Amino acid sequence: MTQDKTDSAQRRGVIALALVLLGILAIPIAMDDQFIYHIFVTICIFAALSTAWNIVGGYAGQLSLGHAIFYGIGAYAAVMLTNLGITPWIGMFVGAFFAVIAAIVVSYPCFRLHGPFFALATIAFLEVFRVLALHFRSFTGGATGMMIPLNVGWEWMVFRDRLPALIIAFGLLLLTLAVAWWIRNRRLGFQLIATRERESAARAAGVGTVRVRLVGVSISAALCAMMGSFHAMYLTFIEPEAVFSLTFSIQIALFALIGGIGTIFGPLLGAVMLVPITEFARGWLGSGALGLHGFVYGVVLVLVVLFMPNGIMGLVQRFFEPDRSASEAEPASVPAEARASEARSFGEDVLQVERLDKHFGGLHVTNNVSFSLKEGEVLALIGPNGAGKTTVFNMISGFLKADSGSVVVRGPDGQFHSPTTPGDYAAIGVGRTFQIVQPFASMTVEENIMVGAFHRHHNVVDAREAARETAHRLGLGRWLHAEARGLTIGGLKRLEVARVMAMEPRILLLDEVMAGINQTDVRRAVDLMLSIRDSGVSIIAIEHVMQAVMSLSDRVIVLNSGEIIAEGTPQEVVRDATVIQAYLGKEFANA
Amino acid sequence: METFLQVVTNGLMLGGLFAIVSVGLTLIFGIVKVINFAHGEYLMIGMYLTFLLATGLDVHPYLTVAAVAPLLFVLGALTQRFLIQPLMHARDEHVQIFATVGLSTALMNLALLVFGADIASTPASGLRTSLHIGPVRILAGQAVIFCVSIALVVGLHYYLQRTQTGRAIRAVAQNRDAAQLMGINVNWIYVLTFGIGAACVGLAASLVAPLYPTQPTSGTYFVLIAFVVVVLGGLGSIGGAFVGAMIIGLIDSLSGFYIGSDLREVAVFGVFLLILILKPSGLFGRRSLAHVSP
Repeated sequence: MTQDKTDSAQRRGVIALALVLLGILAIPIAMDDQFIYHIFVTICIFAALSTAWNIVGGYAGQLSLGHAIFYGIGAYAAVMLTNLGITPWIGMFVGAFFAVIAAIVVSYPCFRLHGPFFALATIAFLEVFRVLALHFRSFTGGATGMMIPLNVGWEWMVFRDRLPALIIAFGLLLLTLAVAWWIRNRRLGFQLIATRERESAARAAGVGTVRVRLVGVSISAALCAMMGSFHAMYLTFIEPEAVFSLTFSIQIALFALIGGIGTIFGPLLGAVMLVPITEFARGWLGSGALGLHGFVYGVVLVLVVLFMPNGIMGLVQRFFEPDRSASEAEPASVPAEARASEARSFGEDVLQVERLDKHFGGLHVTNNVSFSLKEGEVLALIGPNGAGKTTVFNMISGFLKADSGSVVVRGPDGQFHSPTTPGDYAAIGVGRTFQIVQPFASMTVEENIMVGAFHRHHNVVDAREAARETAHRLGLGRWLHAEARGLTIGGLKRLEVARVMAMEPRILLLDEVMAGINQTDVRRAVDLMLSIRDSGVSIIAIEHVMQAVMSLSDRVIVLNSGEIIAEGTPQEVVRDATVIQAYLGKEFANA
Repeated sequence: METFLQVVTNGLMLGGLFAIVSVGLTLIFGIVKVINFAHGEYLMIGMYLTFLLATGLDVHPYLTVAAVAPLLFVLGALTQRFLIQPLMHARDEHVQIFATVGLSTALMNLALLVFGADIASTPASGLRTSLHIGPVRILAGQAVIFCVSIALVVGLHYYLQRTQTGRAIRAVAQNRDAAQLMGINVNWIYVLTFGIGAACVGLAASLVAPLYPTQPTSGTYFVLIAFVVVVLGGLGSIGGAFVGAMIIGLIDSLSGFYIGSDLREVAVFGVFLLILILKPSGLFGRRSLAHVSP
């Protein structure tokens, strides 16, 4: 039933979209007025630019206010080549090529920066481009700008009437929308959004966060450059102040925000709503009301931010989408397995840790820590707070680099490897959870798990299938389509495990997955761990819940103040005097 | 050698100007943790107010500060209360940035509507006379700006370190929730801080207006420079902002003279980008920052 609802909502959405697109093409043709044509060409241009911006600003969450750089590169490439007698149809791709290079050069160093700092850096780059374009007069024409020779015809993208321009603009808009739609519904889109929501969790799930962002920004830049090429031909004149303009960059972002940032078709709606208003204002009021349309832009922006932060799409979605809390029948949860049988036999070592040392300033967090994990073994890592357990985890999953010592992991090929980055660890089959849960808050439970599943499956359909299976196995089936931010802490802990399980790891690092959940959930979690173990996965678990430690683990390592103070079976360890002393103090050692 | 000294002096004077414009921004940035893109427009509005009051009442531009600074305080406080405060708990930072960008665009174009694109020149009132100090010359108005910027930095530092309210402001900057639990009215502190930051710009405007032409886009240049200064000096470090302003003033002046005046901005923004990328905590910032990934 839910499926039907989703389908009909989707069908309505597709029809609405088709109507909007048809309107953009049909209205100006029907009215056949120069000014109306101009408005609709402008709508297409801004909608396309904004949709392309949204791949970076929306999906990847990197607030770029420097997108005019890419637009400007496209514009200049096309005009310069046209002046050399090369058609803008080629210039377009030359521009896109250089824009991609610029995008990588500009973005790569800036990816460490978040929110406002990324925005500031992109503004600074834009200013540098503008000043350089003004400076190199012989190359760009400087402040006087550049004209194109008025050779009319399709070959030169210059026309006497406006219809062909509209057709090209519309075509480019369709192309941009198709690319944006394609990305959103592919692995890349999921990975971009996961990176936006929680970078460390995305890296743990094997997402090459820098790589996906670079791919995203390159695609976005290429599309912007192509629009820039066309717009330059349409305007027949360009100058640095107009193309490398901060106001222009802000406008591009503005349409996306008003339409609905991060949605596929929001930027289109934003442009459709706003461009006519401002163009009419400019046309009617003319120079008599200098600054009026800018004032309107500013006020609309402030009002939208205050009262409609999800944009027009936020309203539209409430109308079109089915209720997300719609529940599905929960299948029987994990069957309770037999308890850990005594004296199980294990395979060879799959992970070897040698003499790990790590200092945080003057604090010696781990001191000469060595241990190994055998195939099919469950190893518990326990110790008082501040013992260095999570630091060890960070070092054996690539999130922290040890000062000295080594970590080697046996790969599927049987050889030992020394991975360094979280991506390397994920690739070799080490999956981890985080002590403080790190859900991709605005994605649904299913999408969260899919991000993990994409580690094994490139195809969306396969990943979705794997994610559903994992969700049901972990008792999350009822919440498949709920946003992760709505889950309880128990649910979020299970989601952490589900995401990492969907990666099908061979070695699983679980960081306090049972902390803060109730007794029933602990019992279910223990059963789950055992079933995971029985499927051939080796597990290292940091755990404070002794009930779980005792019934789960084959071997226990006790850390205190960064050193291993005891190691053995659970029964041995709990009787160890040093362990009791570490937890309870000296006076209890003989109790 | 004399030319070099003159260029350096010009750089320091420019640094004083940048410092006085940036101090308010670094306060807002460091404590409310919001990037106020409308900061430049506050300056522009302050300059227009100075122009109107100085010409309308026929008083020395410096006297207008008595009205301009309080008016800007109110403007800043209103911005915080009605624009930023409702967005403090927004899901992502985009929203706050867009809000101040929107405010900036609206104010700039409002000025364009009201005053037109023409330049408004506040009477110089003798502030453009040259003073000869040893081998170098400076304008009287520049010297005043330089001295007042030092006084402002010292005064604000003292206020934040020694007074009860100053301590409350710093506590809020360190940890909003803990400060609230200690009985500090966090929202009020934010409003106050925003107001003080804007009032600092009002002071700056009254000093800057007699020397620089006033037009609707006056703020745009200064706001970008102010961001550079604030990031260079370290988030929320007022002393750092002063040193940062001096450095940027010197880079601006030296590169303008020795490389070419149209490439000054490339030098300034180039340094900014290098700092942002290589040492994002700023030259003097020590705090671990949430805005960069490890």
